[in-house]
Parts: sequence; structure tokens; C-alpha cells
Amino acid sequence: MKWLGLALVAVAAFLAAVLLGPAHVPLAQLTSSEIVRSLRLPRAILAFLVGGSLALSGAGLQALVRNPLADPFLLGLSGGAGLGAVVAIGLHLSSPWALPLAAFAGALGAMALVYRLGLVGGAELDPRVLILAGVAVGAFAAAVTTAIVSLSDAAELRNAFLWLWGGLSGASWDTVLLIGVYAPLPVAVLLAAARPLDLLALGEEPARHLGADVEPLKRRVYLAASLLTAAAVAVSGVIGFVGLVVPHAMRLLWGHRHRPLLPAAFLGGGALLAVSDTVARVAVAPRELPVGIVTALVGVPVFVLLLRRWTAR
Amino acid sequence: MALRTGRRRLPISAPPGVGVFAMRRRAHRPHLAGLLVCAAVAACGRGGDRRSARAALAVTDDAGRTVALAAPARRIVSLSPAVTELLFALGAGDRLVGRTTWCDYPPAARAVPSVGDGLNPNVEAVAARRPDLVVLYRSALNETAAAQLSRLGLAAAVVRQDRLEDLARAARLLGRLTGLEAAGDSLADSLTRLVAAAPPGPPRIRVAFIVWDNPPMVIGAGSYLDQLATLAGAENVFHDLGAAAATVALETIAARDPDVIAVARDSAGKGAPALPGFARRREWQVVRAVRERRFAYLIGSLFDRPSPRAGAAAAELRRLLGEAAR
Repeated sequence: MKWLGLALVAVAAFLAAVLLGPAHVPLAQLTSSEIVRSLRLPRAILAFLVGGSLALSGAGLQALVRNPLADPFLLGLSGGAGLGAVVAIGLHLSSPWALPLAAFAGALGAMALVYRLGLVGGAELDPRVLILAGVAVGAFAAAVTTAIVSLSDAAELRNAFLWLWGGLSGASWDTVLLIGVYAPLPVAVLLAAARPLDLLALGEEPARHLGADVEPLKRRVYLAASLLTAAAVAVSGVIGFVGLVVPHAMRLLWGHRHRPLLPAAFLGGGALLAVSDTVARVAVAPRELPVGIVTALVGVPVFVLLLRRWTAR
Repeated sequence: MALRTGRRRLPISAPPGVGVFAMRRRAHRPHLAGLLVCAAVAACGRGGDRRSARAALAVTDDAGRTVALAAPARRIVSLSPAVTELLFALGAGDRLVGRTTWCDYPPAARAVPSVGDGLNPNVEAVAARRPDLVVLYRSALNETAAAQLSRLGLAAAVVRQDRLEDLARAARLLGRLTGLEAAGDSLADSLTRLVAAAPPGPPRIRVAFIVWDNPPMVIGAGSYLDQLATLAGAENVFHDLGAAAATVALETIAARDPDVIAVARDSAGKGAPALPGFARRREWQVVRAVRERRFAYLIGSLFDRPSPRAGAAAAELRRLLGEAAR
């Protein structure tokens, strides 16, 4: 029953994203309209892929660091992506793929750095070390990015922050194809780790005693979640709250077992982002709100509600 | 900063001689009363003259502040490219002792030393040029700078520069402050006439000014570019947006279907301008003007700020749009 409900919500979100928009497209012309075929349809699909990736990655990281406040950008990826993007704009790289590739490279760099710091002193990806390293790397990258933007002559760099706020404006069939080909592997890795993650939630020692291979599991989950997030940021900037709030919302309905939780988070995250993007396009038309603002406006009340339920227990 | 402490303790209106007197008074106590009376009378007398001289050169700037000068400004620091152009147009270019790094027109302006940015300026660098007038452009960040400059005893005038009407007002203000009222007023009148003139006839080309592609940002009615479009006889498809610039969805641009897309072009670029990066992205091909490669490239120094060359800018815009629409 719950799955049916979630599926209906997802379908409704998708339809809303395709049918609604600031440009008026009469129903009769829907299938033949260029705007719907080349702009709204890929944008709706991308919203599902990016939202799902962020929520799935968030759920995985929350299990990995055993901290309910973890989100995909905890480990410095947003800082790294921003630095990569600003460098690409500053170097005036003209290719239309320069910005996403540079952001992806920056995020990967941050991921590698945090991973290396997580292994320092034999820590073996200790959650506390990971969190601290992520915060440090993210803050450093953000500081360097701000320094470059404030010292440079190019006015375009100031607009780089607009990109960083997140948005699905760059959605096209090319981007959808790219994510569609890239994402299944990390998604599969995370979904397959569902049962071991249940064990990990008990603690590392108990998990080991119960048969989970903890070190390779932590590495797999860390790499898969970071790669998914890096791709999402490269394509759509930093969209907050989806990765944080959706796993918790799904836990209220499906409990803590990751077998049902991870797929539910993927669908729920996709639906949330699709709805937020539709609201962002339509609410103040012809202007457009940054989608990160809408996800926060929707996500914060949900989060407060969840917090009250959590502390009331 | 090399501030002489003696100056700090005295009001601006007192001439330097009185200050020297004041310092020596402490050493010669028997003469204290007599000298004090003489100095006070002297200061009062000259103060009276100064006040009436000041009244002749007191103007209210665009922030509502009163800018008062003892004499027409001789050393001016301009913290805005539009003001730099204006000063040269008034014939006061030789009085410019400081400019921002962005002031690149006219070419003679480049010989003037730069004091850094115009937004949130380096107050020390400005003061180091020892100006008697500093002109800033109106912005929340510059309010603090203007207050700091006043505290240092430097006259600071804040001018708005969003549209041509603001420029006309600035021309009058600067004309009064430099003693070149005739030039200021005639420039202001010609700009006002330009704004009031009937726009040229058809073809009425529909244009969208795109400043950034991800997310797409366009120019709206609050901007100088929109005004130029009207003067050029064109129609800004986003004229209904009140703000100077706004983010819109790509499908909105596609739905409004502009004939030509205007983008900024680097002033230093030589030869034919390159296609903007977003023109090659797949999702932008839905916009007809991008598909058909109808772009107009606007040079920053002429188009990104209101200038006395507005008439020439409007004519150039009309020419570029006509070429692109063909």
C-alpha cells in the first residue's frame, strides 16, 4: 500500500513537471510542442535522477557515519565542485561541458582528499574523522573560491555563485543521457549494500561479529555515495535538503531497514525535487526561484516536524 | 595614513594660519587673551565669507546629502566609469586625479592613476590622492564609504546611475561642483531631449538581453539597456520585469521568442566575436534566435553604463540588431 502511494506521488510529480510551466502550452499541442519535448521532459527526468541520487546518497552516508544529520554535502563535495566551477569560468573555457566537468573534477578532488584524511593515523574511515575532514576540506575550498571571485576582474565569476545555488536550467537530453549512463553503477552498489548497512548501524564491532566485512563496506559506500553526489552537483549545482530530509521522511514510513528504505528514498527524493522545480518555475513566473530555496522552504517544516517526533519518543 | 594631527582638531572652515596660532598660544601665556580674541575675530570674519562662498557651491546629491565646496573642485576622484566619462565630456578631465580600474573611456582616462574598485572602495587609496571631491555611485555598499570619506573631511557626492535621467541629473550636479554649469546644463538638456525624443520607426525588432546562461539571467525594465532598446526602436521582450536583471526559466525565453539575442562582448576582443558558450548547448536550441544564430554583440565600455554617448550607443544598437535580424 505504501509503495503504491509513493508510486502515485512520483507519477503525479512527474506529470506536474511536464504539464506545468511559465510558458503556456495548450494540452492539445503537448506532444508536438518543442518546449515540452526538449525542455520540460528532460528537465523532469533529470529532477528525478538528481533528487533520487541525492536522497539515496544521503541515506547511505547517514548510515556510514551513523549520524542522522549527515547529508551528501557533508564531506566537502560542494566546496570542491564550487572551486572547480569557478576555475573553469575564470579560465574562460568555452566548451559547453567545461563547467560540469570542472565541477565534477573538483568534487572528486575533494572526495579523494577527505578519503585520504579519513585514513590518517590508521583511522580506517572513522566517521568522526570523516566528518571533521569533510568540514575542513569544504571550508578551505569555499574560502579559496571566495578569494578568487573577489580578487578577479571578470564579472562572470560573480555569477558563478548563482550556478552554485543549484538549478536544473542545464537540463537537456544530453545531460539526462550522461547521468542515465553513469548513475546505475553507484546506485546498484548502494542498493546492494542495504543489508550490511543494517548491521553497520549497530556499531562496527557488533557488525563485524555478525559477519559484515566492515572496511570494504565503508569504502564502497563512501565512494558510491560521493560519486553520485559529485555527478549531481556537476549537473545541477548544490541543492540542499533533499539528501537530508527525504531519508528521514522515508524512515517514518518504512522504518530503519535499508532494504525498503533505500529505494523509497530514491523515489521520494526524485518526487520532491520534481515538485520543487515545478514550484520554482511557476510560483513567481516569469521569474524563476533557485530550486535550492524551494527545497529548503518545503524541507524545513518537514524537518521540524520530524525533529519533534524524534525528540518526543 | 599621513594625517596631520593639527588639522584634525580644527574645523574645516578655519584657514591653516589659525591652526599654527593655536599651537603657539600654549607657549605664550601672557599673550593668550589678546591672540585668542584676534584669532577668533579673524576666524569669524573669514568664516562668514566662507559660508557665503560655500552656499554658492552647495548641492544635494542623489543620497540626499548636502555636498558643500569652498571653491570649484580642482582635484576629483571618480569612483564610477560613467562619472569619469561625464567629467571628460564636461571638459573637466584634467582635474581628475583618481579613477577606478574599470574606467577605460575615453582613452585619456587611462593616464589617470587608479585607486582600485568603485564598489566598496579603498578609502585610504582615495584619500592618498588628496582630492577635494570624491564622486561615488549609489549603492548600499557605498553608503559606508561615503560616510567614511566625509569623516576624513573629503567632500563625497553620491550619484545614481541606473538610467539616462540619472545621468542628466549627475551632469547638472557635477557642472555646479566644478564651476562648469553651462557645460553641465547643456549636456543634461541634450540627454533629456534624447530620452524624450520619439523612437525611430519600424522595423521593431524584439530583443532579449542575456547576461548569464546557467541559470538564465535577462535584463528587465529597470536597466539602462532596456532604455537603450526603446531609443533604438526595438522591444525588450522582458520589459514587463521591473527589476534591472532577473533569473527566468529557459522555456520562458523560448516562449517569448525574441528575434535577436544581445550578449556582452569583451571590449578588448579583436576580430569577429565568438559564439557564446551556451549557443552550443542542446537545450538552448529550442530558442529560435539561438538556433538561427542571431546574436548581437555589445561592447561593454559603450553599453554597460549610462554615458554621454547614449545617442551613439542607441544608433549602434539599432545597427547591430538590424544586422542580426536579417
